Amino acid sequence: MFTTLLLFHSLVSVALLGAITHQAFAVVASRVEVRATTFISRFRSTDPAAYSTAIVALVAVVIFTGGILYPNYRSIVRPALQALDLRAANGVFEIKEHLSAIGLVLLPAYWASWRQPLVPEYAAVRVGLTWILATMVWWNFIVGQLLVTIKGPF
Amino acid sequence: MRTHGRLMIFSLVACVGYTLAYYFEWSLFQYYFAENSIGFWEQGGASGPPILWYGWLATAVLAGAVAAAIVPTRWVARLLPDLLWLVPVVLIFAALMYERRWFM
Repeated sequence: MFTTLLLFHSLVSVALLGAITHQAFAVVASRVEVRATTFISRFRSTDPAAYSTAIVALVAVVIFTGGILYPNYRSIVRPALQALDLRAANGVFEIKEHLSAIGLVLLPAYWASWRQPLVPEYAAVRVGLTWILATMVWWNFIVGQLLVTIKGPF
Repeated sequence: MRTHGRLMIFSLVACVGYTLAYYFEWSLFQYYFAENSIGFWEQGGASGPPILWYGWLATAVLAGAVAAAIVPTRWVARLLPDLLWLVPVVLIFAALMYERRWFM
């Protein structure tokens, strides 16, 4: 059960990583003219607003499944990290906890800022919150993979 | 637009509320994973260490919900657009500073 949920959590995280990275680059690119001729410019030239609802759902699912897995981390992984004296690994997970919580409570504002029709006054909010969420998602993903690598999935 | 304003007030206050909750350990409840039980007051050592994260999150959501219900939405137009992304950036920086104890 634990391994299945961990795999599901990881797979949804990958989908979220793709969506939020696309949106983060597209929201910056939409402020300047982009000529979609290269891979990078095509990557950035999508409609960033199209991702927002999916991102809200994916963030909620990832944090919810992470919340279910969390007691296993505390009872299995964290004692192992402490036994190995891996304080930094413990620390990066503590930061992951805080970023997850801040990201979760920012979702309503993020969703509101991306509602159609887009409100021009919220342009800076859209860029800021999208990049905050993108940073959170990348950090959490890397830390999650790092800890699975240290402890193993079982 | 009013709904948008309330959602933004919720996020801003919940963000600040979460930071205060973990800093001062204002956990609405504790989850004792060894016993699979929830307590509203700190229990003895026999129950094992509690998870406070759920309680901090609950504290933040409660604070955000109360603020969204009572703070006038006209404040959104005046204050929120810039605060909404600046405040979380500051709070993330504060979290990094708070957790640097693990790297010393």
